[in-house]
Amino acid sequence: MTKYKTLLLATALALPLPVLAQEKGTIEVLHHWVSESESAALNVVRERMAEQGFGWQDSAVGGMSGANATQALRTRLASGNPPGAMQFLGYEGLNWNAEGVVRDFSEPANEKGWFDAIEPEVAEFVTADGKFFAMPINMHRQNWIWANKKVFDANGLSVPQTWAELIAMGPKLKAAGVVPLATGDEAWQIQLIFDALVTDLNGPDFYRKALVELDTEALSSPGMIAVFDTLREVRGLVDDGFVGRDWAVATGMVASGEAAMQVHGDWAKGEFLAHGLKEGEDFLCFATPSKTPSYLFLIDSFGAFTTRDAATTAAQAALAETIMDPEVQRAFNRIKGSIPARSDVSVDGFDSCAVKSFEDRAAAIGNGAMLGALTHGFASQPQFAAVFADVVGQFFVTDMTSQQAVDMLVNGIANAM
Amino acid sequence: MTDISQSAAVPGTAPQRPAATLSARLARWLPRLVMAPSFLVVLIGVYLFIAWTLWISLSSSAMLPRYDFVGLEQYVRLWNTPRWHTAVINLFLFTGLFLAVTIALGLLMAILLDQNIRAEGVLRTVYLYPMALSFIVTGTAWKWVLNPELGVEKVVQSWGWDTFAFDWITRPETAIYCVVIAAVWQSTGFAMAIFLAGLRGIDSSIIKAAQIEGASLPRIYASIIVPLLRPAFLSVIVLLSYISIKSFDLVLALTNAGPGGSTEMPSTFMFAYTFQRNQMGVGAASAIMMLMTVAAIIIPYLYSELREDTHGH
Repeated sequence: MTKYKTLLLATALALPLPVLAQEKGTIEVLHHWVSESESAALNVVRERMAEQGFGWQDSAVGGMSGANATQALRTRLASGNPPGAMQFLGYEGLNWNAEGVVRDFSEPANEKGWFDAIEPEVAEFVTADGKFFAMPINMHRQNWIWANKKVFDANGLSVPQTWAELIAMGPKLKAAGVVPLATGDEAWQIQLIFDALVTDLNGPDFYRKALVELDTEALSSPGMIAVFDTLREVRGLVDDGFVGRDWAVATGMVASGEAAMQVHGDWAKGEFLAHGLKEGEDFLCFATPSKTPSYLFLIDSFGAFTTRDAATTAAQAALAETIMDPEVQRAFNRIKGSIPARSDVSVDGFDSCAVKSFEDRAAAIGNGAMLGALTHGFASQPQFAAVFADVVGQFFVTDMTSQQAVDMLVNGIANAM
Repeated sequence: MTDISQSAAVPGTAPQRPAATLSARLARWLPRLVMAPSFLVVLIGVYLFIAWTLWISLSSSAMLPRYDFVGLEQYVRLWNTPRWHTAVINLFLFTGLFLAVTIALGLLMAILLDQNIRAEGVLRTVYLYPMALSFIVTGTAWKWVLNPELGVEKVVQSWGWDTFAFDWITRPETAIYCVVIAAVWQSTGFAMAIFLAGLRGIDSSIIKAAQIEGASLPRIYASIIVPLLRPAFLSVIVLLSYISIKSFDLVLALTNAGPGGSTEMPSTFMFAYTFQRNQMGVGAASAIMMLMTVAAIIIPYLYSELREDTHGH
């Protein structure tokens, strides 16, 4: 009997706690952030929600760069049980908005000036026809080069100003027993080098024409051939053990000095910091070399699904305002390694690479060189972006000629139309 | 209940008719009743969704299902995709090699183990153990073993054979054979176990009779034992074929369909097109093509094997 009493008491004691936290409503958030820094960053949002009296039900579905989470969402939507909020990448928010299943937040957006707080390039992915359907929280830059400073110093190398200079560094590094460029063979890791080459060699306007508008003339132009020719030379910088190599493993090679450089997004920064390395002393971060340095961005945003449940609706509004809060964005991005999606957050407290990211973004906006990253779905719709990934991935590991690659690209895009 | 107790209460008399009919009826209906739920689940969970997939493959579905009709447009698109051609070639290459090598090795090992050797139990467990691993584990382990900078090539080179090269996994034209190696490693023990069970089931007097007649051991195996293993072959072939068609996880873990899409399989193709590339119609069309391929191979085989069983022996 005493056992039952204890049990009863325990239940009675346990009950009020979750009730307190869910006082005003609980929101289920579906996302694919499962790594340590990612969930630590998300905790900033979660805690702010708790302070306002809202509960948070975490539905993290990791894997396949978010594809698993998207699949979970489709199943949930099809069964009429969507989560309260969902993380969007690329065109997903736009597509769900077109399906008419996400909530419009234009009211608080107009009231609090969200429309003016983000760049028009970002607005393209989170707003449509005066609707504000997704709240962007962070911005990553894809076209960074991460380099080992000690390897650079030991071989008398400095930051390359053109891709030709970068490629010319290869023989020297190889002679010193260092892999010039670390990457894996996964199509997306190669594709982000390709994205950078398209704008670095041919300028931002060409990037928009070829990768956003999918203009056949641009796709089959000599400029595109030059991109593939350069990519072939880049292949010469990579060792043969690159099959199935995870991007973080490649980053680790740069951190340990086994490799000199990696072309990768700024989520690689966390790997250096985790090894206790310092920017400027142990490693370098600089943009891929070009006359007009571009800023290839990707953002994560959160959208909310329309529901009749009043408590969830209230929690969704609170989540939207929390995410768009400049202070939340600052705290979140300092942990996540990205920079705020809002352009009006000050740089105070960010590390040196992030400060560089702020500066480069401002410069790129002035030059019209702030572009959505194709690899992460911010240039063209997934069915087209995947064709680029197919061709680039295959080109990199085979003897395909640049002309064959361009033909395959043009045919593939036409077939997916 | 009452009927039964009544009949029990009058010992010595024949069971009364109503009770007999009830229990007979029960005996007739019970199997059907018990089977009904699983039959229903299979009907809905398998056949209904096959029909649904067929419908999707004839529609213009992209990100979400769209219930319209566009004829065979998605199939045209599918067969215009070079990646699908790679996937189909790989499926046949993989299935053929995987089946042939696994069956040959499994049978050989079973025959060798069947020679009344010592520590057979231990050896059997050792060979069967890979089957207990998930394909993800197998794929990841073999990814490292086959990697030229980490695995076999590196080890042999460090022994002094500098020119040794085993870089199949980095070359698009040979990477698919690496998938075969990993799959064979995983499934050979399983084939061996089934063959061994079959060998143990063979009446030893037949073999003795053959020995008395003066047949050599290879001859006994070739003409008597292997033909008698026919049911074991049926089980192995059916089970291995379906393992090879659902080899999705192995490919993802080992090569992630790379390098350059060269180890794409229909299953990975279907997943990518349906859930990553927003081309659900093409994905559904590829699923239907897979189903038809499997049906075209398995149905005639099952039909001939099972028909002979009822009429023949």
